[in-house]
Amino acid sequence: MHILAIEGLTKRFPTVTALDRLTVTAGPGVTGLVGANGAGKSTLIKILLGLLPVSEGRATVLGLDAFTQGAEIRRLVGYMPEHECLPPDVSATELVVHLARMSGLPRTAARERAADVLRHVGLAEERYRPIGGYSTGMKQRVKLAQALVHDPKLIFLDEPTNGLDPRGRDEMLTLIRRIGTEFGISVLVTSHLLGELERVCDHVIVIDAGRLLRSSALTEFTQATESITVEVEEGADALAGRLAELGQTVSPLGRTLLVEVRGPETYDAVRDAAADLDLCLIRLEQGRQRIEDVFREEAARV
Amino acid sequence: MSEIYDIGYRHYDGPRLGRAHTTLALGVHSLRGVFGLGRPARSKIMPFSLAAVMMFPVVVSIAMMALVQQRLGDYSGYAVVMQAVIAIFLASQSPTVVAPDLRHRVLPLYLSRPVTIAEYVGAKVAAMTVAMFLLVAVPLTVMFIGDLLVDLPGPPPTGEYLGAVAMAAVLSVLLSTIGLALAALTPRRGLGVASVITVYLLSTGAAPMIFAALYSTGHDAAAAWAWLINPFWLVDAVQAGLFGTTQHIPEGSYPGGPVPALIVLALIAAAVAVLAARYRKAAAQ
Repeated sequence: MHILAIEGLTKRFPTVTALDRLTVTAGPGVTGLVGANGAGKSTLIKILLGLLPVSEGRATVLGLDAFTQGAEIRRLVGYMPEHECLPPDVSATELVVHLARMSGLPRTAARERAADVLRHVGLAEERYRPIGGYSTGMKQRVKLAQALVHDPKLIFLDEPTNGLDPRGRDEMLTLIRRIGTEFGISVLVTSHLLGELERVCDHVIVIDAGRLLRSSALTEFTQATESITVEVEEGADALAGRLAELGQTVSPLGRTLLVEVRGPETYDAVRDAAADLDLCLIRLEQGRQRIEDVFREEAARV
Repeated sequence: MSEIYDIGYRHYDGPRLGRAHTTLALGVHSLRGVFGLGRPARSKIMPFSLAAVMMFPVVVSIAMMALVQQRLGDYSGYAVVMQAVIAIFLASQSPTVVAPDLRHRVLPLYLSRPVTIAEYVGAKVAAMTVAMFLLVAVPLTVMFIGDLLVDLPGPPPTGEYLGAVAMAAVLSVLLSTIGLALAALTPRRGLGVASVITVYLLSTGAAPMIFAALYSTGHDAAAAWAWLINPFWLVDAVQAGLFGTTQHIPEGSYPGGPVPALIVLALIAAAVAVLAARYRKAAAQ
């Protein structure tokens, strides 16, 4: 069964075409929607929520038509916006209880559900304090909690890792994976980083300038694009040189190095090179690869 | 992040209530917000002290009825006499109803739920209207109960009291739609307060000045219309037209006929149109 089915969807704004004849489907589980900023991800979510009229084409969410059955869709889905959307003077508990009631839950059920989801997203005692004093990571958790509070069948997460530090990012991604598996709620999560979605998604859709670039199960992606990010305290250049000597493909990316994975020997090479040069290895991470690489690859194929 | 609580995710299979329920819940939530209930103590200071000021003439009136067998003022003139307090309440509280959701972009959290923009705005207007009505009608009612208990000679002014309560309802709809429309135009609370109070002061200051200017130049008939610039006198004019009550203006008299009532309706319609346009734009963002 398709969670989402989009057919020839076109959305034109007066000055730009946000979506251009997009046709794609997604099944249950965690689906990643990847694209650069301005690729049309947020526009697509608003259309799927039935909040934005389209120029052409059709879209169904959970078998419901997004243009005529928007209200029913909004009863069954949750939405975490990309931007800040939390009033600072109320506590997380008050806000989430109130929004649960706005989804139609009776008062006592709303309280119970709010306490439940706030615990699941990892907000403890601080949930009674005003949101204004929260860190970015805590605010993202509140945004996620309000999207889950009415126990939706499907949730749309728009850039949930935005503004988070690496640890917060990892925790958020783990949580998203749990929502898709343990909680049994389908997820559509957007990001401009393909790498981070690789870790949590079953299926990835890549769009660019409102067009479908690629839609495939995750395994196909990782085969094509596996890489690791290496970060050392200093001496990145020396490490890059040594790795190149060992026959690895290395490209610098800011303060880090991106190394293409050929097989287990790549990891050995990184370990040996760092040990030989006596470097302080602070990060070795799988596949935080930029979306641009997929675009380059796609362009090369055409 | 304690792990001892982890008992796994539980699905919700209880009832999901319809639109009437959500709209009512939003209205009650907003009404509580107007009076600062469920908010920090400092949010309660302004609404409750203004409500207390509204009770002041009631206490004095009841005391006078009991001690010297005399009414302080009439029911029909209460809103006009207390207009400054009512206007300050409107100015200080209407931004709390609409500004935070606009300023902090909370609206998408509502609109991604079954709540529609019309229900959202309707609940907000209803909440502010009920708040304004309580502010005016509760003191009137307390005064009337006092009147009945003291039992002055002659029949109790039941008709005038009921008329005043009905007019309080009209005044509440008029003031809350205008107040919310002005407050919704700016997401900043302070500016919202300032814009509502400015409009009130302009209307109050302009009415007698325009009246005097027209009256002294011999345009007596045109001068009568000047009083209708102020919403409190406008509603008083409707009341005088409907029930033949005293006209609570310093000098002159209101123009008669249905026109004051039509102006009230037109102003409410205009304010609702402004709100609709403002929220259609906010929803599209």
